[in-house]
Amino acid sequence: MLRYAFSLLILILLAVIAQQFLPAFIDLYNARVFLLLIVFLCIAVSVPLPVMFLYALICGFLWDAQCSLSSPAVDTSIYTDPVASLRFGTSILLFGLAGLLMHGFRPLFLQGKWYLSALLTGIATFLYCLSEYSMIDFIRGSFTVDRGVLSQCGYTALFSVAVSPLIFGLLFYLARLFRHSIVESKRPKHHFS
Amino acid sequence: MKPLNLIALLCFLGGATWALTRSDRSVRKIQYHYYSALLPILKSGSAIEEEARNFTREVQHSTELEAELELTRAELSKLRQIEQRFSDLETENTRLQDALEFKKNTPFTLIAARITRRQTTNWYKTMEINRGEESFIGNQNPVVTAEGLVGKIDLSGKEFATVILLTDEKCQVSAKIEGSPEVGILSGRRVDYGDPPMLTLRFLSKKANLKKGQRVFSNGRGGIIPANILLGTIESVEAGAQDSEALVRPAVNFNDLVTVFVIPSAN
Repeated sequence: MLRYAFSLLILILLAVIAQQFLPAFIDLYNARVFLLLIVFLCIAVSVPLPVMFLYALICGFLWDAQCSLSSPAVDTSIYTDPVASLRFGTSILLFGLAGLLMHGFRPLFLQGKWYLSALLTGIATFLYCLSEYSMIDFIRGSFTVDRGVLSQCGYTALFSVAVSPLIFGLLFYLARLFRHSIVESKRPKHHFS
Repeated sequence: MKPLNLIALLCFLGGATWALTRSDRSVRKIQYHYYSALLPILKSGSAIEEEARNFTREVQHSTELEAELELTRAELSKLRQIEQRFSDLETENTRLQDALEFKKNTPFTLIAARITRRQTTNWYKTMEINRGEESFIGNQNPVVTAEGLVGKIDLSGKEFATVILLTDEKCQVSAKIEGSPEVGILSGRRVDYGDPPMLTLRFLSKKANLKKGQRVFSNGRGGIIPANILLGTIESVEAGAQDSEALVRPAVNFNDLVTVFVIPSAN
């Protein structure tokens, strides 16, 4: 388990690096392959709860390190209405919540139904993006969810569904490599007389 | 709940609280180290991307040349290809000359920088450039092109900087309008997927008499952006109960940016 868990940490770091080279698709409402989140969601369903929390902490921290904006000191007599942005650390909570959602359906994954988890990554991604946007909306004091925002979240979620089988494949490979089982072995059938 | 899970949850919440209570300065430090660690990878990635682009361009030219040769087998087509290449070079040359001219004519010291990455976050409009503190670029320095204001520096590292674009809601600029006493605050819009994304000029007087096409400039108030940098042109004006707002078309084509100029702190 330890070696598998360590390999997942490497996988997360590789996802952070790969994420740097995955641009947003301007024609698809700035949707993107949110690789770090996809990798985390796939990992979340394959590890016990404490390990999931640890990875949520790491992924959220790294994502915020990349995305947080500063709060510059401006002349408040001129800029009377400064615009706030999400605090550093918000993504940790969002990653944790998305991970909990994935983890809630772990029994299905343990039964070998990874394809349901793959679909769930789409839902979790959609909810993650929408929550992130809604929080920005909330702290900036208005409500402006429109078709574009939903499309951006939707396309990002679709990318997640498309990419997650590859990540699950990689996780199964890593588990085999480190002789760790991430799904329950099939139980023998009981025959009743 | 199992005790181990409960402990993990408490540790997670403790970690999240620690992160949420970091000061802006600590966050900057974390980000500085994060980007510094990624910089060698980003640099090599950028170089590979450049090479790939050159290779694609070369392949494109070769294919075009081959097609032309197959079609005519004549010297004329070759010359046309060469002429085309010359035309490309001429365009490139003109673009660079314009940039050079802009750098010469501008009253500020400018530092040229190449854009390395665009739209790095989900909701904020940002991009990264290949110059940083080593080129005397600091936080909040304005970023411009010959067309107008691009944005301002949000985070500067040794050899990189993150720029928050004018099209982001958080990038606010105090603005004035050509041929009018009106002043207001110009900023991007939270969600705008249009091409180009529009800007909003707020806090204009209730009866602001503005016309479509009037140019909007920075007025230098607030101390971050120098005065008289072109920001955009008025598209429409909407009167509200207490003040009015104008929709502004940005002067810069944000999709077409390759090189930008930073006005360093020394100015």
